[in-house]
Amino acid sequence: MTKPKNKPRKKKSQKKKVNKSKVRSGLRVYLFNRYTFIGIILFTLFFASYLFYLNIKITDKMSGRIWSLPSHVYARPLELYQGKHLTVKQLKLELKQLDYSRVSNRPTKAGQYRILNESHFEIISRNFTFWDGEQKSQGIRLSIYKNKLATLHKLYSDETIPLFRLEPVKIAGIYPATQQERQLIKLDEVPDDLVLALLAVEDRRFYQHWGIDPRSIIRAMLANIMAGGTVQGGSTLTQQLVKNLFLSPERTLSRKINEALMAVLLEINYDKSVILETYINEVYLGQNGAQQIHGFELASQYYFARPLIKLRRDQMALLVGLVKGPSWYAPRRHKQRAIERRNQVLKLMLERGALTQAQLNKYVALDLGLANKPRFSSNRYPALIDLVKRQLNSDYDEDDLRSSGLKVFTSLDPFIQSQAEASVKRVIKRLESTNPNAENLQTSLIVASSQQGEIQAMVSDRQPNFSGFNRSLDAVRQIGSLIKPAIFLTALQQPQKYTLASVLDDTPLHIKTSKDVMWSPQNYDKKFSGNVLLHQALENSRNVPTVRLGLELGLSDISDTLQNLGVTRNIPTYPSMTLGAFNLSPFDVANMYQTFAANGFNVPLKVIREVLNKDGKPLKRYPLKSDKAIDEKAIFLVNHSLHRVTQIGTAKSLANNLSHSVAGKTGTTDDLRDSWFAGFSDDQLAVVWIGRDDNASTGLTGSSGALRLWTDFFQHLDKTGDLHGFSLQAPAGINNVWIDGESGGLSEKNCLGAVELPFIQGSEPTEKAACKSAGIIEQIKRFFN
Amino acid sequence: MQVSRNHRTDKTFFQLGLFYKIAALLVLLFWLGGCSQTRLGEVDSSNNVLPVVDSHNLPDVIKTLIKQSDEQYLNQNLAGSLATLERAVRINPRHGEVWSRMAQVYLKLGNSEQAKQHAKRSNSVLKNNAQLKAFNDRIIATGSVESIH
Repeated sequence: MTKPKNKPRKKKSQKKKVNKSKVRSGLRVYLFNRYTFIGIILFTLFFASYLFYLNIKITDKMSGRIWSLPSHVYARPLELYQGKHLTVKQLKLELKQLDYSRVSNRPTKAGQYRILNESHFEIISRNFTFWDGEQKSQGIRLSIYKNKLATLHKLYSDETIPLFRLEPVKIAGIYPATQQERQLIKLDEVPDDLVLALLAVEDRRFYQHWGIDPRSIIRAMLANIMAGGTVQGGSTLTQQLVKNLFLSPERTLSRKINEALMAVLLEINYDKSVILETYINEVYLGQNGAQQIHGFELASQYYFARPLIKLRRDQMALLVGLVKGPSWYAPRRHKQRAIERRNQVLKLMLERGALTQAQLNKYVALDLGLANKPRFSSNRYPALIDLVKRQLNSDYDEDDLRSSGLKVFTSLDPFIQSQAEASVKRVIKRLESTNPNAENLQTSLIVASSQQGEIQAMVSDRQPNFSGFNRSLDAVRQIGSLIKPAIFLTALQQPQKYTLASVLDDTPLHIKTSKDVMWSPQNYDKKFSGNVLLHQALENSRNVPTVRLGLELGLSDISDTLQNLGVTRNIPTYPSMTLGAFNLSPFDVANMYQTFAANGFNVPLKVIREVLNKDGKPLKRYPLKSDKAIDEKAIFLVNHSLHRVTQIGTAKSLANNLSHSVAGKTGTTDDLRDSWFAGFSDDQLAVVWIGRDDNASTGLTGSSGALRLWTDFFQHLDKTGDLHGFSLQAPAGINNVWIDGESGGLSEKNCLGAVELPFIQGSEPTEKAACKSAGIIEQIKRFFN
Repeated sequence: MQVSRNHRTDKTFFQLGLFYKIAALLVLLFWLGGCSQTRLGEVDSSNNVLPVVDSHNLPDVIKTLIKQSDEQYLNQNLAGSLATLERAVRINPRHGEVWSRMAQVYLKLGNSEQAKQHAKRSNSVLKNNAQLKAFNDRIIATGSVESIH
């Protein structure tokens, strides 16, 4: 009985146990299912969110600006027309800088030229988009005779051309932080053969897969296992693009997963043609110094100096081959490797039916056909490019400058710049070797067009290519006697009180500058000449009469004149400012003297002419603007004296060293710390500063230092015919009168010491000076003068 | 002849024969075409194109640029017109005709201050060109477009 009793109990307990375990396992299943379900839900949510995030990342980039395109800076275009001063050397340099190829037969392609009889040029220009529109490639022929362009015709035609503009030399790039350089190309402009070769080599099933290609992955895995290492990649073009555009180069599993996911998303969002075009513009194909060469179009220019569309198939094959390893196969360094790689690609092209066997045989026998390494990326004019950036910064932020692909057209003249650089190197070296106290000299040389105020050249270091402290803009130094024309101009603007014949007092002067401080200015020769005429004081740079005149005029009036002349810095109004004891940069001085050079029209110096956007559409122009700052008659009187400075004054050496007349002024500061010369012709203005960075003495005056450099530079302009003299044309209302050189009274041509000076009508002296007849020698001298 | 002429004068344009209609239209077209052309030495008062009195004294390169500038001016491309004149100034800044044209473009742009300055620059380099000087003087005195009609 017990058994039966027990049995059911047992059964009961067993049942209970079974039930419990069933419950437990059911619970477990339930909980498992539930957690799994929740887990799956959460995972799906997370995965979906992550995909969503990746998708946004892709579409954001692809719909916006995919790449940071560097801005490019161009020199002035060379204008060719009959009568232009042009030497064979100058034109050759221009064509060399434009990377034109010199050929011995007739030029047939854009970017080629030949020279016949050393003075006849046949040139085929390239297409170029200027600010005012596109200029198509054109053939021209020209001849140069006696440093002038004698004839200009269409190539192989008798039709004359009045004017032709060569495309400008690219002088620098303003690069994004990545230093990436590229030229964009549209897919329909890409040769079919290149696309075929690219797909044959990199992704045969590009048009079949969805971003990732399992077949390629398996094939690559097998190949790698067989080879015992990585010999083949299974990445599709889409994956490569994703890796380059969105991911870091690290080789991790998570990056690989992201790459695959993003590749699929990219394919879902975008058409194959968009992906292919983006790849063609993105792919890295070489290195030029610090700049990375991206995209096939730029690579074509970089390796072959011609657009992609003009390449032969073997050249396309080389570019495609470079995708695998631009450094390993670098054609200029590893020619044999590059040839082998190119030939591999050519064989694949044969397999795909893009070549016949005969063509393959022909191509594999060819040399690589590389062009000379272009110079387009280096920044050869650091000081000028610094000025370009500063002037652009007022209109564009730094990020836009570095990434928007702007085309910036400047007024830099590469030929004048090269002359300026050569003069700086030569003269600084010579000054240091011939002057025992001159060492560690530094310098600035600025050249601008006199009438338009356009910077043509700028050197800011004795080593012109050195990129560092921009002395032309930032070396703010005392200007010494360069102030004097401004003081005399202030006086001559009052013709009823002052003329070039006004008598100034050149006797000792003592000025109480503060409670117990006396200032006694000295002349450079430490002598006093009693009385001097105003024009003599300027021509011979007499300090004491200048200070006296300045105080008489009023320091604030002089400060006003400086501002009218284009000086924008604050000028202190203490007595020693009349001797230039205040600081300006060479650029400030150039602005000031430009107003003299342009006969009273103040044209703020500029270097940028125009800016185009990346598509070649005009963005901004910086037009020529001028303000009539100063009365032209008063300016003429000062310029007359500045001309005499270069004939009989402190810069009289110029009279013998140049074949054309010029005008200018020397400047020297205390202890010979700064040596200045600012001078101009009708067409060119140049300012030279020589000093030391530690502000120690240079041992040089304006005449023995800066003037030498200025002269050397202008002599080169003179030789090449680029120098037009200073014409000193009197405006209406100016009368020339003979006056006595000592008293300033009226005199006559034949009188001893008489000098002919210009006067603003009505301001001529009325009192007659005694006339002592000039000797026969003096009269002969005057006759020849 | 007498009859037919009287007969014709009584008709309106729409009643004229096809030959006369075409002839009249051609005359009209030539006249309009003449108005829209700009040649050196001519004044197109409706568009304020400056007369170049001594164009024969200008070098070909300057004439070419002035002509190009005029075309841009007529197409209302004033910035382009100014840029082309600046090219001429760079080649030779001593032609008052170019500076004066720049003054004119500035007037059209509504920048009377720069128009005056460029007229002054023109005067500062002009040689024996009383007509152009008078034109510049008018711009300097009034600084307005209306004054030169």
